[in-house]
Amino acid sequence: MQEIEQTTESVAAIRENLEAHRYICSDQIATAVYLAYHLRKPILIEGPPGVGKTELAKTTAEMFELPLIRLQCYEGLDEAKAIYEWKYGKQLLYTQVLKETLEEVLQGAQGFAQSVNRLHEFGDIFFSEEFMEPRPLLKALREEGGCVLLIDEVDKSDHEFESLLLEILSDFQVSIPEIGTVKATREPPMVFLTSNNTREISDALKRRCLHLYIPFPDVDLEQRIINARVPDIPPELRRQLVSFIHELRDLDLKKSPAISETIDWARTLLLLHADSLDPQLVRDTLNVILKFQEDIENVNGEVMAITSKVVANQPGHVR
Amino acid sequence: MDRTLANFIGALRNAEIRISTAETLDAFNTVELVGYTDRDLLKRSLSLALPKTRDEKETFDTCFDRFFSFDDIRGARTGAQGDAAEDSGSEGAPADGEGDGAGGGGEQTGEPRQGAAQGRRKSRQRGASTLTGEQEAEEDLGPGAMAEPHSALGKLLMLDSKVELSMSVAGAGEAVNVREIQVFTQKGLYTRRIMDEMGLAELNGEIGALRDSRAIPERRLGQELKKRRDWLREQVRDYVERQFLLHADATGRRLREELLRKVKLSNVEHRSFRLIQEIVFKMAKRLATMYARRKKVFKRGQLNVPRTLRHNLAYDGAIFDLKWKSVKIDRPRVFAICDVSGSVANYARFMLMFLYSLEAVMPKVRSFAFSSDLAEVTELFERNNIEDAIAKTLRDYSGGSTDYGQAFQDFKRLCLDDMDNRTTIIILGDSRNNYGEPRAEILKELYDRAKRIIWLNPESRNSWNVGDAEMRRYSAYCHQVEECNSLMHLERVVGNLLKTVA
Repeated sequence: MQEIEQTTESVAAIRENLEAHRYICSDQIATAVYLAYHLRKPILIEGPPGVGKTELAKTTAEMFELPLIRLQCYEGLDEAKAIYEWKYGKQLLYTQVLKETLEEVLQGAQGFAQSVNRLHEFGDIFFSEEFMEPRPLLKALREEGGCVLLIDEVDKSDHEFESLLLEILSDFQVSIPEIGTVKATREPPMVFLTSNNTREISDALKRRCLHLYIPFPDVDLEQRIINARVPDIPPELRRQLVSFIHELRDLDLKKSPAISETIDWARTLLLLHADSLDPQLVRDTLNVILKFQEDIENVNGEVMAITSKVVANQPGHVR
Repeated sequence: MDRTLANFIGALRNAEIRISTAETLDAFNTVELVGYTDRDLLKRSLSLALPKTRDEKETFDTCFDRFFSFDDIRGARTGAQGDAAEDSGSEGAPADGEGDGAGGGGEQTGEPRQGAAQGRRKSRQRGASTLTGEQEAEEDLGPGAMAEPHSALGKLLMLDSKVELSMSVAGAGEAVNVREIQVFTQKGLYTRRIMDEMGLAELNGEIGALRDSRAIPERRLGQELKKRRDWLREQVRDYVERQFLLHADATGRRLREELLRKVKLSNVEHRSFRLIQEIVFKMAKRLATMYARRKKVFKRGQLNVPRTLRHNLAYDGAIFDLKWKSVKIDRPRVFAICDVSGSVANYARFMLMFLYSLEAVMPKVRSFAFSSDLAEVTELFERNNIEDAIAKTLRDYSGGSTDYGQAFQDFKRLCLDDMDNRTTIIILGDSRNNYGEPRAEILKELYDRAKRIIWLNPESRNSWNVGDAEMRRYSAYCHQVEECNSLMHLERVVGNLLKTVA
């Protein structure tokens, strides 16, 4: 517990701790985690794909040594898959069994009213915890000692699902009609929601969250990220490939390469024992960073120019 | 309650960042946690709690920089008003950094030499040119004793206390409702009102009297007061400017937006395009949220076993009420055909902008542009952002003389097979066919097959059948014919479209 207190005592401490877990981040991101922890608010993270939105949640879980519960959103996701579901098979089976024992139960009952009363004694046994299958959201609430709940790509889900989330986000509880309200255990979960902005998230949801926008990192930060993720890569090559990626992001591409692509590319180049970029090498490995044939074709023409620009640009202004 | 933060939130709201009460509370909690001492941290933290989109974050950044600028008058004012210790912490550091904070107020008028020196130091802020110019004109009275001022404002000025002065300016500002300032031309007016409110008339009278006086100390005071009055005016003007930027910039904008909604689209000046685009996005967003929730559960597809079983438990496990998995989202399928020849191009621009802004509810817009030959431009819009796509469309297709007959023929060839009874076709054009063959029979064919054909004509109804316009023949084969030349029209048409088609 004391450890956690130390971890979260300041923004800088959080940043260092994230870095210790190989997540290199800007002050803005560290501040977000700091606020989320202290204010007990969910964070809604937006940004282009591959800038480390999901990774932030994972790393935070690691940092706090909490279990990570992940809910992947998709169109058509509903409460049965997100919150809870009745174990219908078991319910059916038990009904059958009960049917046979019904006579014993009702033996000696006088009149209809008494029979019904006896049946009532069984209570709502079919709709009790015994028969309930908790899904990620409910699991997260019941986790003793807290957890990190990651609701991934919330923009992929339907509007209705957003409304389902509102209760859990603001009060850390869910209402199940047959059972009642399930509140979070002593430690409410830390909630991260990510969105790729394929559609606008409703205001109601946004209102309940802190909002963090993660843009593509600047050259310096990205170099540090590569350094943390692919430590074996020679510094000069690292500088070149990061600058190259940044040049690409300025182009008009269908999908700009993200950090994850930069990392993949760094690994690829390391594997090929390259120590400097050259046009042929870039052309051969372009499919690692660009995912559309059109983009590859577009960039192919520019490879020569960008490579020579990047290679010629000697280190100095960039660390 | 923390007044500074409340004011800041007011300013943000004015800049069109939507902040609810709940978020205000969050902001207060945030500030409580991080404090005011670290400006960067404060900015980062509040930018997490308050703005909730990328655009809002940008607006927030400018607002924050403007609001927490910490320069003299504002800084001192809030510092004096703030009640909590953390408050003064917020302004304390930067204000002191200027070396001209409240500490300067220590020297009193009792020591004239000091006072004069101070005055000179302050007047330096007014810019060197005015300073020297005025000093040349003034008679040189040399240092020496100075009389005591009589007017309230005079006393205040000679007090050398920035805090008191700023409070007084702010007080006067509140009294004349400077927050209600709407357009920039009012800046002078409000400056004068604030000065009046602070007792300028009395001060002017005093200065006049002092300057006419025989006694050197009184004349000296007169000079000093005049200098300080001018300095004060400068400060007040700055204050009004800041208030204007915080409170009025957006209000003025709203006025303009209101106007632009009604103006004829062809008359929109080029510099307003950006603003129009924003309005279009806003309108589209409203429509999108209004119609986004339409859904239908279709009675076919895959059986949802768990739900069916659970639902039928109540019937003793006998399964007769079936539940299906597929929830189909019913969205209108829209074909937009736009005349992009010179006369209509401007309308086409906004129409396309509108349709594509509605992506969330109408994902299946296919658009076609023509002047003589027709071509599909859907892909252009998929690959570029709306602005570029429109520019490219207009560049590539707007040449050539209008030929509706040819365009319909091309459209039929391209799309007739893709059309069904759920398709809506929107045609935007003035139907001016240069006396060519109208080919209305092709339109009839489309009419028979489509769910709806809507013709939007940017010309006013009176001129629909004048000259080479073929509206009469075409309108027979349209479900709906509308005049459409302003954003309001456009919004109504698209709104209707969503209502009936979805």
